[in-house]
Amino acid sequence: MYKTMILALGLAVGSGGVAMAQSAWTGGDELPTNPLACDGAAGAAAAVPYDGGQPTGAPDMKGQKITVVDVPKLIGIGYFNATSKGIADAAAELGSVDAKTDGPTKANIDEQITFLDNSITSGVNGILFAANDPVAIAPVLKKALSKGIHVVGYDANSTPDAREWFVNQAEFNGIAKSMVDNMAKEAGEEASFAIVTSTFTTPNQARWIAEMAAYQAKCHPKMKWLETVEAQEDNVLSFNQASTLINKYGDELKGIFGMTSVATPASAEAVTQGGKCGQIAVVGLATPNAMKPYVAKDCVKSVVLWNPVDLGYAAMYVLRAAVDGDLKPGATSVKAGKLGDLQVINGSEILLGQPFTFTKDNINDFDF
Amino acid sequence: MTLRSFLRHETILLILLVIALIILAQQSDKFFTTDNLLNQGRLMAEVGLLALPMTFVIVTGGIDLSVGSIFGLSAILLGVFWHGLGIPLPVAMVLAVLVGGVAGLGNGLIMTRFNVPPLIATLATLALYRGLAEGISQARSVRGYPEWFFVLGQGEVLGLPTQLWFLFGLAIAAAAVLGLTTFGRTTYAIGANEVAARFSGLNVARTKLIIYATSGLIAGLAAVIFVSRVSTTRSDMGTGLELDVITAVVLGGTSIFGGKGTIIGTILGLVLMQVMKSGLALAGVKGDGTIVVIGVVLIAAILLGNLLSRNGDG
Amino acid sequence: MTSPLATPRLTAPVRRLATTLEANGQELVVFAVIVVLFAVVAMINPRFLSDTNLTTIFSGNAYVAVAAIGMTLVIISGNIDVSVGSLIGVLATISGTLAVNGYPIIICWLAPLVVGIAINAFVGVLVAYVRIPSIVVTLGMLSVLKGGLISATAGAWINDLPPDFMLAQFRLFGIPSPIYFMVALTILAALWMRHSGFGRTIYAIGGNPDAARVAGIRIERSIVGVFMIHGFFAGIAAVLFATQLQVIQSTVPPNLELTVITASVVGGVSILGGTGTVIGSTLAAILFAAIGSALIFTNVSAYWLRAVQGLLILATVLADMARRRRLR
Repeated sequence: MYKTMILALGLAVGSGGVAMAQSAWTGGDELPTNPLACDGAAGAAAAVPYDGGQPTGAPDMKGQKITVVDVPKLIGIGYFNATSKGIADAAAELGSVDAKTDGPTKANIDEQITFLDNSITSGVNGILFAANDPVAIAPVLKKALSKGIHVVGYDANSTPDAREWFVNQAEFNGIAKSMVDNMAKEAGEEASFAIVTSTFTTPNQARWIAEMAAYQAKCHPKMKWLETVEAQEDNVLSFNQASTLINKYGDELKGIFGMTSVATPASAEAVTQGGKCGQIAVVGLATPNAMKPYVAKDCVKSVVLWNPVDLGYAAMYVLRAAVDGDLKPGATSVKAGKLGDLQVINGSEILLGQPFTFTKDNINDFDF
Repeated sequence: MTLRSFLRHETILLILLVIALIILAQQSDKFFTTDNLLNQGRLMAEVGLLALPMTFVIVTGGIDLSVGSIFGLSAILLGVFWHGLGIPLPVAMVLAVLVGGVAGLGNGLIMTRFNVPPLIATLATLALYRGLAEGISQARSVRGYPEWFFVLGQGEVLGLPTQLWFLFGLAIAAAAVLGLTTFGRTTYAIGANEVAARFSGLNVARTKLIIYATSGLIAGLAAVIFVSRVSTTRSDMGTGLELDVITAVVLGGTSIFGGKGTIIGTILGLVLMQVMKSGLALAGVKGDGTIVVIGVVLIAAILLGNLLSRNGDG
Repeated sequence: MTSPLATPRLTAPVRRLATTLEANGQELVVFAVIVVLFAVVAMINPRFLSDTNLTTIFSGNAYVAVAAIGMTLVIISGNIDVSVGSLIGVLATISGTLAVNGYPIIICWLAPLVVGIAINAFVGVLVAYVRIPSIVVTLGMLSVLKGGLISATAGAWINDLPPDFMLAQFRLFGIPSPIYFMVALTILAALWMRHSGFGRTIYAIGGNPDAARVAGIRIERSIVGVFMIHGFFAGIAAVLFATQLQVIQSTVPPNLELTVITASVVGGVSILGGTGTVIGSTLAAILFAAIGSALIFTNVSAYWLRAVQGLLILATVLADMARRRRLR
């Protein structure tokens, strides 16, 4: 009888595996992609009507003191430290905002939901979030909206109707183009490359990789995609994975993409310690401070990122504008302090700007 | 090992709980409200459900580290059965729970047939079941469940969150089985002295199989409820859940060496943990501070229990 | 199946082999799995055996093996430590913080050992004298250390480490220092466990604490000692971990405690205490490192990585159980 049951489990699992097994995977997701034009001409963005959600019965707090809680994917990593700093900076500038960052210690939806739920109970006026999962976070955000709390996302979106606005650091296809173009420039049009990412379940990374695959197929068709490896958000594991890729492919490997601010410096370290500087290009998302040593040694030429401090700063300004009624559905731009006017795209998203490429010439101008 | 020593730990817990409630209620007027308490009940339901069979497991002197992974596997398969294979959702829900049961049975068989210690067996299946979840799902989420499905995780029945009814029902059932039946006495006997239990003619292997299979079954049920609560499936669901569950059970006074423990204690431990999480958050303590406090309370509660029972046999 | 009657007629070499098998069974099983794994993967892609890749496998994961030595002693004594990952995270951060603040390098290397020993002495006292089960104490310590680390650092990375600090990047005869540490510490610990009085004491306590007490062993003191030794190894592991790369993350390495415990138990340490060797745990740590690398080399979709790891752990354990049954 046990054998039958174990067999049944095997069959169930097996059939499930077959049902979900797709063509060769890359670490990307299965959502439709929208690669940009190869020459860099901006595609005509179709105007999308406002698709966000609105709080019900929010009290009029215009100009009054508000309390805001920021719930990032997780606390205790450099990236969200930077966004949190931006939020605090903006709150100090605005003067009438009491902002606090609190979140789970691991990037886990279960705990993030609990944190959001507790914030709702404690009666905040506004919530800032970076979602660990766009759908899973939606019910609790909708609950916040239904209690008259203003909700603005940044970094990682939720489903649109669960928040009012989302501050988009850079569009997925824009990041993808920047990454692949830089790689083609450094490693050559016929280069073989591999990717080191965090986990396959991280939505942003999966989206970027899918867009990169589409853009590479369209604009750099001769480049060869070797494989994608998973390395959590762990320095040493990222280093080991990148080293293993170098060992495996030898001279065939011409480039490594680092998809997180942890994976990119670790990949650069692997290339350095492997004595492959100049032979293997490293292009990736990373914060400038972590990359300065490698850029100084000419081991890494381009680092792609937006400024996370600005991202948090903009999110705080957007939330204040939404509370004050200065940012209403249908608006086309919003004032964000020192960042000036930010443009509204895709209905209810606010674009921080184009992804920035750090190089040897400008990297020392930044400190985060 | 008398009823009195059983009750002692629970009394301490109850006192701790009352103290925590009083202090935390003074820190924030939002804490001691029906709304918040019911909401906290909803949030703790999954860990609570898993803590019930885990109490049985630990009372036998075993441990089940794989519950978080079974939870993830069941969640993923719910999505795959429904979305990938086109099985009607109610059937898919039942199948997902059954898969959990079979996975738990697998744990039991590895232990009883091959004499592999529980810690090692479930350490292996912790990796194996999580790996299956990731491999099958290819890290893709399944979304778009119909509205009626959300009643389970987001709805209310007679004013109480739906999942709390499951938790109450199963907690009463578990308390009755552990406290009043032959099965419960066998469970204690195995934990107290497995060899003696075997020589007294108790069917040790069968009891363990049932306990571990139930543990898996409940993990499957908790997974279905969780999917309904968050309206999506992901293969990383339930990562690290086992530590929360074990903490609740141990905080509840169940001896990790087996032979001692009650469902009431487990429920008290669970509630104390959730009360601290919610109350400290409302009092403005950050998440990292909260986990420090929970760690300290865990050690302190057991310490107090040991000091008061004086015979420190833990 | 050998009939019992045949046993006395076994020739000496066979008998010796049988004894070796009995004494070192799990180590041999793990070793055999490693050999088979290396052979199979090398056939698929010979680069797997290149010296650079072997360096990556051995050197990049030596800290796991070193931490597993201490964990093995703890488990042999009948205890467990689920907080070792957090402890290593904390110790690595202390070491790095001292280094960037200009303290002498030797202090940066020794401080984690001292702090590790001190923290685990406290854990040991709670376990031995206050008699809180080790899994409870260390579950609590896991929360305390992890929460404390995040509160203290807020996850700020430690950059600009002095070059002299990079112990793990130091090479002798072309071989990185972590490999020397791993091999030397394993051999020393193995010899010490087998031949020293304290080593035998640890086995005795884990095997049968009551008998050990009757035999006059001071159990409480010994258990505190075991935890302190474990803290020492965690300190060395933390230094190797911290000095591998140019930055220290100041976070708890994800799932490190599970990896370390798994290495110990797969290496043949009985979780019930009393048996096991550090050679087995080091071999198992190498096995896991090799599996991670092998999956990349054999193009097994990384989605299946954990499933394969789980299956291999299970296979190793079941093989060992089958072997013990045969020997019985």
